[in-house]
This record gives sequence, structure tokens and C-alpha cells, in this order.
Amino acid sequence: MRFVDERSALAALQNQDALALRVAVEEVCENIVKYAYAGRDVGPIVIEFASSPEQVTVSIEDEGAAFDPAALPPADVTSEWRSRPLGGLGWHLVRQLMDDIRYEPISIGGNRVTLVKRRTAAL
Amino acid sequence: MSLDVTAEVLERATIVRVVGSVDSLTADALSAALQVHLDEGRARLVGDLSGVQYTSSAGLRAILGTMKASREQGGDLRLAGVSQGVHRILDLAGFTSILKLYPDVGAAVASFAD
Repeated sequence: MRFVDERSALAALQNQDALALRVAVEEVCENIVKYAYAGRDVGPIVIEFASSPEQVTVSIEDEGAAFDPAALPPADVTSEWRSRPLGGLGWHLVRQLMDDIRYEPISIGGNRVTLVKRRTAAL
Repeated sequence: MSLDVTAEVLERATIVRVVGSVDSLTADALSAALQVHLDEGRARLVGDLSGVQYTSSAGLRAILGTMKASREQGGDLRLAGVSQGVHRILDLAGFTSILKLYPDVGAAVASFAD
């Protein structure tokens, strides 16, 4: 995740935005390894970072099996502690932390997830 | 990214100090470091997270797994000194309603009063 941290610093992102982006990118990559590359060697994951005065956009591409994160079940964030499952929170965090998320399958195989984080105004 | 975990065993509770980032590369090491105490019957745990600025869902799994195991042994995992960034992740995950958080280690240890 050093790439994301370095690019966030270069883009002069507020600390809270940079942390949110790092979490979101890590979670998307985790899902790629877990689902798109399930049962096979982990293939390439290509991360592109673009910034503008209003927002940063990160696209994450893989060459794995088609996997739309929207198909994941919703996370349980309200049950009492005994009933809380240990997993299933990654994509929930992505949804909570990002301002926009787009998913598209790549025609030659693979997936592209695009994350948009609008800049928090400096105090 | 590295993670340093050290522990101090007190009569009332065991303080586990965590410094670094808790992510998919380091969360297993944190779980293992906490499990050592549970295996030895020390289920009253204080996680000093004042040195942690980042956690992903991998860290949340480590925290929840340890908290459940410690409560099942009659203890608890209570967190102290949680940074703003980590608190936000705990909150979004719905953990702040099931975990006990304290501003500092002293308060967390004292909460284990008999």
C-alpha cells in the first residue's frame, strides 16, 4: 500500500482521506485475491491513481474471474457480539469510505473497480 | 509495513501494546500475539492501540476474534488510546457498540476491577 500512501501524499490529500483510500484499496485487493484469483496463482493487480482539485480516483484492475463486489452479502454491523461473524467487513468499509464506486468487467477477462474519494476541505 | 507487539502482565490485566499498521500482512501476527495470553489463561486483555494509526478489516478480524475468545474465557479485550483514524474504522464496522474503549491504558486496566 506504499504506492497509495505516496500518491496520496503527492496529491496533498488530507490525512483522513488518505487513510480512507488506503483502507479501500487494501480491501479491494483482498477481494481480488480471495475471489477473482480464487483457486489459482495470484495474477497481476494494476492500480492507477489520478488526482484533481476536487477528488482522487483510483482504478484497480485484475485478470481474474469475473467478480462484482456488489454481489457480496451485506455486512452484519449490528448484532450482539456473540453473533458477529469474523469476516465480511471489507467491502462494507469500501462502501462507507468512498464517495463513488464503479465496477465493470473487462472484455478480455478480469475486473476493474474504480474508487472515487472527494477531498475533505482543509480546516 | 511492520508491527511491534509487546506485553506487560499485571495482576488485574495484561497490557498488549501494539505499534504499527494492522493490515492483511500483519493481522495474523497480532492475533497470534494475543492468543498466547489466552492460551496461558490470561483473558483480561488491554489492547493499547495508541501506536496504531491504521487498521483494515484484517485488523478488525483479529480484534473481534480475540474479544470473543477472551469473553468466552470470562475475560475481555478492551482497547485503550484508539487513534481518530482507527476509531473511525471501528465505528463504521459497528464495533464501537460491542467493544469497550478507554482513553488510556490506566482507565482500561482499572475497568477490570474485581
